[in-house]
Amino acid sequence: MAHAHAVKRYSGLMDWLTTVDHKKIGILYLIAGGFFFLVGGLEAILIRIQLWAPQNDFVGADTYNELITMHGTTMIFLAAMPLLFAFMNAVVPLQIGARDVAFPFVNSLGFWTFFFGGLLLNVSWIVGDVPDAGWTAYAPLAGTTYSNDHGMDYYVLGLQIAGIGTLIGGINFLVTIINMRAPGMTFMRMPLFTWTAFITSALILFAFPALTVGLAALMFDRLFSANFFDPTAGGNAVLWEHIFWIFGHPEVYILILPAFGIISEVISTFSRKRLFGYSSMVFATILIGFLGFMVWAHHMFTTGLGPVANALFSIATMLIAVPTGIKIFNWLFTMWGGSIKFTSANLYAVGFVPTFVMGGVTGVMLASAPADFQYHDTYFVVAHFHYVIVGGLVLGIFAGLHYWWPKMFGRVLNETLGKITFWTFFIGFHLTFFIQHFLGLLGMPRRIWQYLDGIGFNEMNMISTVGALLMGVGTILFLMNVVVTMAKPKNASADPWEDGRTLEWTIPSPPPEYNFAQTPLVRGYDAYWKEKMEGHKGMTPAEPIGPIHMPSPSILPFFMGVGLFVAGFGFMYAPDWGHIGALKTGHFIGIIGLATTLLCMVLRSMIDDHGFHIEEDEILKDLGGKA
Amino acid sequence: MASNHGAAEQRTKHHKVEGPKKHVVAFIFSILLTFIAFATVISGEINKDFIYVILMGTAFLQVFVQMAFWMHMKDRGHTFAIIGILFGVVIVFTAVIMAEYWVWW
Amino acid sequence: MSAHTHVEGQLPHEPEKATLEGRNKVLGFWLFLGGETVLFGTLFAAYLSLRDQVLEGPTANHLFDLMLVAIATAILLTSSLTSVFAIQAMHQKNVKSLIGWLIVTVVLGASFLGLEIYEFYHYVHEGHGFTTSAFSSSFYTLVGFHGAHVLFGIVWITLLIIQLSRKGLNVVTAPKVYVAGMYWHFIDVVWVFIFTVVYLMGKVV
Repeated sequence: MAHAHAVKRYSGLMDWLTTVDHKKIGILYLIAGGFFFLVGGLEAILIRIQLWAPQNDFVGADTYNELITMHGTTMIFLAAMPLLFAFMNAVVPLQIGARDVAFPFVNSLGFWTFFFGGLLLNVSWIVGDVPDAGWTAYAPLAGTTYSNDHGMDYYVLGLQIAGIGTLIGGINFLVTIINMRAPGMTFMRMPLFTWTAFITSALILFAFPALTVGLAALMFDRLFSANFFDPTAGGNAVLWEHIFWIFGHPEVYILILPAFGIISEVISTFSRKRLFGYSSMVFATILIGFLGFMVWAHHMFTTGLGPVANALFSIATMLIAVPTGIKIFNWLFTMWGGSIKFTSANLYAVGFVPTFVMGGVTGVMLASAPADFQYHDTYFVVAHFHYVIVGGLVLGIFAGLHYWWPKMFGRVLNETLGKITFWTFFIGFHLTFFIQHFLGLLGMPRRIWQYLDGIGFNEMNMISTVGALLMGVGTILFLMNVVVTMAKPKNASADPWEDGRTLEWTIPSPPPEYNFAQTPLVRGYDAYWKEKMEGHKGMTPAEPIGPIHMPSPSILPFFMGVGLFVAGFGFMYAPDWGHIGALKTGHFIGIIGLATTLLCMVLRSMIDDHGFHIEEDEILKDLGGKA
Repeated sequence: MASNHGAAEQRTKHHKVEGPKKHVVAFIFSILLTFIAFATVISGEINKDFIYVILMGTAFLQVFVQMAFWMHMKDRGHTFAIIGILFGVVIVFTAVIMAEYWVWW
Repeated sequence: MSAHTHVEGQLPHEPEKATLEGRNKVLGFWLFLGGETVLFGTLFAAYLSLRDQVLEGPTANHLFDLMLVAIATAILLTSSLTSVFAIQAMHQKNVKSLIGWLIVTVVLGASFLGLEIYEFYHYVHEGHGFTTSAFSSSFYTLVGFHGAHVLFGIVWITLLIIQLSRKGLNVVTAPKVYVAGMYWHFIDVVWVFIFTVVYLMGKVV
């Protein structure tokens, strides 16, 4: 047997750089995603300060374009998705009773490629060539004719690298959920957060390759003078819109579905009731995922696809309201008659429901193609997508943070501070964006850096800015909560809410490296709750205590990320950096970067990872210590 | 684990190792379909739409043969593989429809 | 986990699916191929929408040489068959024959790639460069992505041959070989659509 393999177990910084433990990777995602959330939030505040008075010149027009582009890109790709991946990593394996994800090494690789991609994108601020063609990077504006500095190169390469990380992360979770479920954990017994993580991963798998192609084509256009999107050379700008939105619309559901999952868990736990209509929830999730691929052209009604296409996509879009409505009613019926506890987590969840409904209603309004001609490119659209993304996703993330914080860190966040945070953020949010519906209906276009005095925009913009500052205060309060909590002793119990229904609450907070000392036997939906109701203290184990095999830590994923980061730089600056012999210096550096990544892949393939075992006495000691 | 005993069942069921025959048949079938496709185009006399139909027909038939026999998709335990590939194909269809009808007009 | 549940030296019937790690790998790779389908599908979509935009460059009908494509197709199809034989040899636990068939597959793959490079070289001389027109850009991107996949496959299978000759066939190497075989078939399947949609349809006027 392989017990004799001595595997180096690192500590300190090296531990975090080499970890393949899904719980630690979850924390890494949380830190990195949280950092980018702060960056994107700062950009948002700057945008709102610029707009708070007519003809303000707080930032220049160029800087404003950079701010809106980076705000959108950062929030979607570098803040929202990684924060969701943080929860998926921290929670999904625990909810299905698994010791780890299917591919721990790939999991770590996914994080590091995302991280270095995001870093590359944000280095643009330091260099001074910042992406400025909007987060949708429409051609020909994003082409070299109109964006001649390196700004859009950062966008193309940074997102490409981060996208690779997301894609392999998605595959990892699909396989984990399909293959690694504990005995008895059938698909229809999976907690809803796991279900939404599953469908989201599937959407990632099928949507991101389209983005890969789009970005590659745009990169070829920009770096190697290809003609995909250049109308003067036979290219087609509308093609970019199509490719971007074939990816981009599923992306919206990639973001919102896990939030639906979090809300379902939180509402069910704190209503102390089984989730109403569980199977219809699952069905609705799958249906939303599927329909999400069939509606991309509703972003392009005014492009001029013609009445037939517009009608088809209108109807398809409105169809999505049906499964979404099912979900809303299920949450309401879950709360109905429950003994509701308004913890901070539940406040966010309860606040989510009406807020998201408002985003959904404006969504149906926008889905009507003739009406969309009026709303298009106004603040009405801005209000709509912030209602679904901030009012939906971000509230969901905050709910999840308060709910699972004890499981991730062993400490319960301060409830009083949490409730103050909620009200500050929630009121700030509605103050910022509710008014923007009316700004849009009055005709204020989006993506403009100034507006004239005396056309009735002044007060509403002022209100909106005050709201944004309030959201900023809310975020700072949350950070204070984190600091205060981290100073407290690590004393959260396994089931700190006392109403935990799912498997993650059956193990210590934070869980040991191997998660489950004994794989649990799942006997129904809400596995832990079922045992509680039948008077059992914990789960029935499905196996005796024995040595547990663990994968070894590895530094290779980190270097693979570094390699791609370096390669991105090299190819981007090839036109500027002169030659070494016949080869451009930039290309030389790029090839070195890619070679580093490939070499790491070869090393990974050639050197077998035997892992190591955690012995029985260590597990027994853990059990004794915690009991 | 559900997939665990599935694999165990397979192991006990047919220990006989399959021969190369059916793969050679699949290969000949593939070559034949390829030949039909090339011949149709080279002959060039037939109606254009009809050629397109034949070309797509032979291509899909060939892919079906290869996936079923060479990639073992027809075997048990490939549910998620089939779902994965089919869903990918659905999206490809929508993308191709987009390319044909909604890019130039 | 289940990596050590089998008696040493006695390989199970389907060694690629004997361990949970192996089954994860095979399933993960199937899903990856689903994503690759979308990747190539989007490339096809881009090519289909841009293929008539030739500007001053040569048209598809003028450019393509069907003889060359037929030879390349025959080579790649045959390599797909030889990779099936490799997997069969693996199921018979015949490492020597397995390595042999893999080598044949690699050689065929390399000759396909050689033909493709020659073809591209030839086209560039005909005035069909990467930057000539939207048609040429999308053509080289689509066929080039496929070619890059072939190159990656060649390097990958070569590494597997080295590993097989050093470590032999076991429950760790078997899933790798199986998955590489799937990858190779997938490349072949994509090529079926490339020769149909790009070359043959390009010849239909």
